Amino acid sequence: MKLVIGYLYGDLMNIYGDTGNIIALKKRAQWRGIEIEIKVKSLKSKIKKGEIDLFFFGGGQDQQQEVVASDLQSSGKGKIIKQEIERGVPLLSICGGYQLLGDYYKPHKGPKLPGIGLFPAYTLASYNRMIGNIVIETQFGKLVGFENHSGKTHLRKEALPFGMVLKGFGNNGEDKTEGCIYKNAIGCYMHGSLLPKNPKLADWLLKKALEVKYHKEIELEPLDDSLESQAHDSTIKKFS
Amino acid sequence: MRFFLAILLGKLIIKLTRLLKIGGGSAAPGLYALNIEPDLVEKLSRKIPKNIVITGTNGKTTTARMIAHFAKQQDLKIIRNHTGSNLERGIASSLIHNSSFMIHDSKFDLGIWELDEAAFNTVAPKLKPDVIIFLNVFRDQMDRYGEVDNVVKKWCDTLKNLAKNTVVLVNGDDINTKKLQGFFGGKVKTFGVKDYKIIGESIQRLKEKEELDFEAENVKLNGLKGSNFSSIINHQSLIINLPLPGIYHIYDFIAAFAAGLNLGLNPEKMSLSIKTFSPAFGRMEKLDFGYIFLIKNPAGATQVFETIAPQLKPEDRLLVALNDNLADGTDVSWIWDAEFELLSRLPVRGPTALRLICSGKRAYDLAIRLKYAGFDPGTIQVEQDIKNALKQAKNGLKGSLFVLPTYTAMLELQDILAKSGIKKNYWEET
Repeated sequence: MKLVIGYLYGDLMNIYGDTGNIIALKKRAQWRGIEIEIKVKSLKSKIKKGEIDLFFFGGGQDQQQEVVASDLQSSGKGKIIKQEIERGVPLLSICGGYQLLGDYYKPHKGPKLPGIGLFPAYTLASYNRMIGNIVIETQFGKLVGFENHSGKTHLRKEALPFGMVLKGFGNNGEDKTEGCIYKNAIGCYMHGSLLPKNPKLADWLLKKALEVKYHKEIELEPLDDSLESQAHDSTIKKFS
Repeated sequence: MRFFLAILLGKLIIKLTRLLKIGGGSAAPGLYALNIEPDLVEKLSRKIPKNIVITGTNGKTTTARMIAHFAKQQDLKIIRNHTGSNLERGIASSLIHNSSFMIHDSKFDLGIWELDEAAFNTVAPKLKPDVIIFLNVFRDQMDRYGEVDNVVKKWCDTLKNLAKNTVVLVNGDDINTKKLQGFFGGKVKTFGVKDYKIIGESIQRLKEKEELDFEAENVKLNGLKGSNFSSIINHQSLIINLPLPGIYHIYDFIAAFAAGLNLGLNPEKMSLSIKTFSPAFGRMEKLDFGYIFLIKNPAGATQVFETIAPQLKPEDRLLVALNDNLADGTDVSWIWDAEFELLSRLPVRGPTALRLICSGKRAYDLAIRLKYAGFDPGTIQVEQDIKNALKQAKNGLKGSLFVLPTYTAMLELQDILAKSGIKKNYWEET
């Protein structure tokens, strides 16, 4: 079996530790004999339907984020990503990437940056930076990461939060929600890197990608995750 | 009155901290004194005839130490902030420690000040430096400094308001420091290494025609022993034998050398005296059982891996220590951007596999990073306590031990080594 990971704007949107998520997906697939190809999809590239089996979208600096926001609209990539998510292709987006997949991002000055409207959520710039370790409760159990954002994301009432905050700020530091989940697409603020320390989530993304691609139910071969579990448990213990 | 009170209080705290052995007094005295007299740094540094400021992500301490070495060799009396204490309080502490109440003239010829990327903007204008060095800018402690673009933008704003008679030295191979040229009204000079460029997070070989004002060329790297290269000064080629390994240290040297020339130091004497230079604590330090290399951000760590990877032998051991205290950066995500994969070139499985010990508060984060970098989890040992980790790493060691700590893990190590009599306390180092 083979999976193609689409690293969205990997050259522009790769703030601290985003690469760690790609490494985790790649290794966990390879350890099970699943071939992995990583395609960076950036400003000049096109995405064809069915080309990408799993999307990853990381965070970026403000300037890059503007360029990427406008490219998502003008190149038509935003529309294709939405269609692919509708048919179940999994996606993980973090921080800046998550914000651009919502309705819009409103900076302090200047016009709104339009998002592609995948997640029913919008983000407003704020003056307090939400920094620190974060622990949330999700359908995948407790997850741990590190958040560093000043944008406050608000979910619309039809939106499903990815998890509830046990420690940290989450979407906006007010309503205890963190991230958003729509079909098999996840958006959140968790760096860390997220997937190496939360292997259940990494495996869920791989499983969904394989199921959509091969049209059958997949049971992933179990791996020895004793080191990952210790990292996961000790960090959660330390910060909750 | 406030001025004298501030100094008095500062001096008292220095005495107390040393008496009670709770540290070197490199930050607290300045912190409290600045509360009483906010203009303390301005007032005290004004007495020093020449001041030089060094900023950038990596290499500040080594560069400052090299300039100090050159200046001392040429009989100048220098004052500087020691031990990587590179915020305003660190500078104030050093000034207080060395100040006297009565004398109006300074007993020093030259002040050498390293400032971190953020402190530069508030402290450099107060120091009114004669020379400023911008070494490089990489991602570092994003929880503290923010994004690279932001760091550079603030530097530009600060430079616009500095006196035009300042000489600004920028790394001409780093696109981010190079663009500072356009934002300063006075003289800007470039330094760098011929045919090398800093691209993103790494230093790469790249042929190019562009000329820099101060340049190292004909570079030959000699493993852990150091490197040699030449530099043309006043139409004369000088040969330099640098006792520190890696390209990144050549940048530190050429920056220090350029600063020395601007201060009127003799180039032949500088190039000769570098042979007797010893690095700052924890920065590529040779100990009886091996080496200590500070790692603190992706670019710096990757440079260390590039330097040591070709030297590693199966009988050697690696002790990596990751802390997440404020001074290390509380976000450990950066380890995923550092190329630990470079270290897995030797056999990573089987009886000849390199032995690895992960330590520090976030030892488990390190352990999975190394697992995903290709090491067999069976060869990875986790021992959060640094003292125990060091003991285990040294036990039965046949080759060399390479210790790679983050900043506060390095301070812990220094303390452990000092107590066992191997190293002096860091504040006693000159």
